[in-house]
Amino acid sequence: MSNGLRILVAEVHSLPVISYQVHFAAGSRYEKPGITGITHLFEHMMFKGSKELGPEEFSRIIQANGGTLNAFTTTDNTSYYENLPADKLELAVRLEAERLENLRLTEENLEAERQVVRSERKLRSVNSPFGLIVEQLFALAYEQHPYRWPVIGWDSDLRNLTLEDCREYYRVHYAPNKAVVVIVGDVDAGEAAKIVERYYGHLTSQPPPRLTITPEKPQRGEKRAVFKKISQVASFFAAFHIPGITHPDLFPLQILCMALSTGRSSRFYEKFEKPGKAVEARAEMGYPPFFSMDPGLLQIYAIASPSVSLEALEQEVWEEVEALRREPLSPEDLAKVKKQVRSAFLQGLQTLFFQGLLAGLYQVRAGDFRLFYSVYPQYESVTAEDVLRVARTYLRPENRTVVQLHPVSQKEHEDLGEVE
Amino acid sequence: MSAGNKSRPFSLPVVHSYVLPGGPKVYAVPRPELPLISIHLMIPRGAEADPQGKAGLSNLAAEMLTLGTTKRSASQLAVQVDALGATLAARSDWDATYLHLSGLSEDFEVLMGLLVEILTQLAFLPEEFEELRRRQIAALIQQKDESQIIADERFEEALFQGTPYDHPVYGSLNSLPDLSCEEVKEFFEGSFCPEGSLLVILGDVKAETCFRWAEVNFPAGGQGKRWETGEFSALPVAGVKTLLIDRPDLTQSQIRLGHIGIAHSHPDYFSFEVMNYILGAGGFSSRLMQRIRSQLGYTYGIRGSLEPRKRPGPFTISTFTPTETTYPCVQEIFSVVKTFMAQGATDREREEAVNFLTGSYPMKFETRSQVAQKILQAELHGLGLEYLSAYPKRISAVTLEEIARTARTHLHPQRMLAVVVGRAEKFRRAFEELGPVEMVS
Repeated sequence: MSNGLRILVAEVHSLPVISYQVHFAAGSRYEKPGITGITHLFEHMMFKGSKELGPEEFSRIIQANGGTLNAFTTTDNTSYYENLPADKLELAVRLEAERLENLRLTEENLEAERQVVRSERKLRSVNSPFGLIVEQLFALAYEQHPYRWPVIGWDSDLRNLTLEDCREYYRVHYAPNKAVVVIVGDVDAGEAAKIVERYYGHLTSQPPPRLTITPEKPQRGEKRAVFKKISQVASFFAAFHIPGITHPDLFPLQILCMALSTGRSSRFYEKFEKPGKAVEARAEMGYPPFFSMDPGLLQIYAIASPSVSLEALEQEVWEEVEALRREPLSPEDLAKVKKQVRSAFLQGLQTLFFQGLLAGLYQVRAGDFRLFYSVYPQYESVTAEDVLRVARTYLRPENRTVVQLHPVSQKEHEDLGEVE
Repeated sequence: MSAGNKSRPFSLPVVHSYVLPGGPKVYAVPRPELPLISIHLMIPRGAEADPQGKAGLSNLAAEMLTLGTTKRSASQLAVQVDALGATLAARSDWDATYLHLSGLSEDFEVLMGLLVEILTQLAFLPEEFEELRRRQIAALIQQKDESQIIADERFEEALFQGTPYDHPVYGSLNSLPDLSCEEVKEFFEGSFCPEGSLLVILGDVKAETCFRWAEVNFPAGGQGKRWETGEFSALPVAGVKTLLIDRPDLTQSQIRLGHIGIAHSHPDYFSFEVMNYILGAGGFSSRLMQRIRSQLGYTYGIRGSLEPRKRPGPFTISTFTPTETTYPCVQEIFSVVKTFMAQGATDREREEAVNFLTGSYPMKFETRSQVAQKILQAELHGLGLEYLSAYPKRISAVTLEEIARTARTHLHPQRMLAVVVGRAEKFRRAFEELGPVEMVS
């Protein structure tokens, strides 16, 4: 549209339902120290009322029309969606456009939602077995780039965010030229686009914000840390820097991850989980369309079974990784992983919601929704030599950051100070 | 198609059925849009059949289905499954055991062959059993760090004490070390494909192909006996009893409140569903979410849920809140429940609940596994497939009066069990105002 809003529509007529999604180029990568977590807190504020609607009324109306809805915030985008009967498309469009234009931000709503988000932080990070370990991993792996702070933000920042911060965030990041609208389902594409134009057409674009994203410099040696907390088991979480979403090396890297830990014939399962050395051992890096916009992290972690030495387990994990840097995958292993990719990709396509995410997130993260068409062919074209090359390039010890969880007693836990 | 126009009516997927002589009933649901296949076998015997002190037996038997046949070791089976890009999983829940295979439709015959091989040539290798048990024990030890799981487990154990539902499906650190491979094998042989077993095949394959294949290849005549859990009554709870699990390292408490509910086959199940949408299951439309989260900011999430089981399952209000708001949060929950029971629902609440439950119904048939689960649950609970087509009408027919009666009949705030995992010493005294408080490990 002339105001910069991009509309993507896919007609799928299998069921009389649609997925309506609005993806904003607003993620924690756009934040600055001191206001970490504002992107996610603001996502909550989008449900707290507008000129037309009272707090949470948006959700109530969508559900009362047979719809399900939610939103999620990541490092790179904030996304809102409604899955609902196809004849309710106009309702979703009207309500989404209205809160984009007329959100009502009040101190009272901010205070209630601040406590809700702090409760969510306790749930996901502070009181979860490994949440704080992963936070530490990102904070150590990234020294300059905004990926070093968690999407949910630091608790001290959540306590200090102001209504003015929210207003500014709304003004800068919630504009039609920062958004992509996706409609997938039982619609006529032309008519659906007209409805979107009707409700969003009058909105004005905003000048792009001045970005202050400092790129991460190459890592030149392994970084390690220890995190002590009460835990039944020891574990380690490691990360290697890898490229961002548009880089072709992500496909052989993901095939490498799958060879390590997807399925019960994978190397990690056979060596660590099956014989009971590790409760869990995984190599993962997200999957399309959730590859990170800027250079991201390939994570490898293992949770040691009780009485298993963490040091020995970690050493054995690195030996498995080294094996992939020495020898190419066998033709059988490569064929197996490619078939796993094909199957998983088709499984994902069963839902309209995931089809919408593929298009919308490739548009907002990589700048071109059409890239998702090449996802599967790129996996198909990966060779054993590609996997060997990316293993040697990215899985170097110098590019590695490791955080170990060391269990401590209640007394030691208390002596180390309160976690938040 | 529609865009601002009337939506097309929703039609349930076409389900073809066939009773295999001497075998399970077979359902075929052709879904040719994607080249996928999804195979689900359900044996109507689950953890309810675990003998006293043998918690986890049924689930171990299910897991052993994935760990090797007389033709293939566990590792060889895993290689075969992964090479097909398939998944193989088996698990028990309370009322049934499930074996699930999914993959690409080009491998239909190979996958079905694997299913038959698993059922007829199961190896029950002692070394695989030992490894499996070791893995499960390690997982249970790690699980002690998960306050949500501790809260769920303690809640159900206390609620169903002395009944077949009183132990975790996956067993416990007390029961698992004493179970033997022989016991697991016997359990499996006693439950293999009795009357009431179902095979559901969905995907890019014709119904006739499924039936013909099953007729030729599926093993006839399982020896298992159909399991029936008799009527049971749990120990009556008088007043509000609180169990506190002390975890001084937590900054937020996990809370479970509730009592035994009604079975899935109970005639009030539909009105309970509408009633509970308004009280606790309707997200931001629910009374609990509006009060506890939106107005008070005590929690990120709160939900009331009734677990559908053959016998009455748990009705649970689940939430979490920082230590300092733990007792106020529980007080508010009671207040919301009692107010709701006294006032009943409004016309608008009823209408919105009905619209949500009926309007979102088609979305529950989007994936092959969703459709399979709907079929299996309807049959398991003796509701029949007509339940699936009748659901929107039955929900729409629930009246305000029925909602009020259901709340009065099936909600019992005066005799609830409360389980809280958190910094017990910070709120123990406060909970004593509600009734007896017990500290448990």
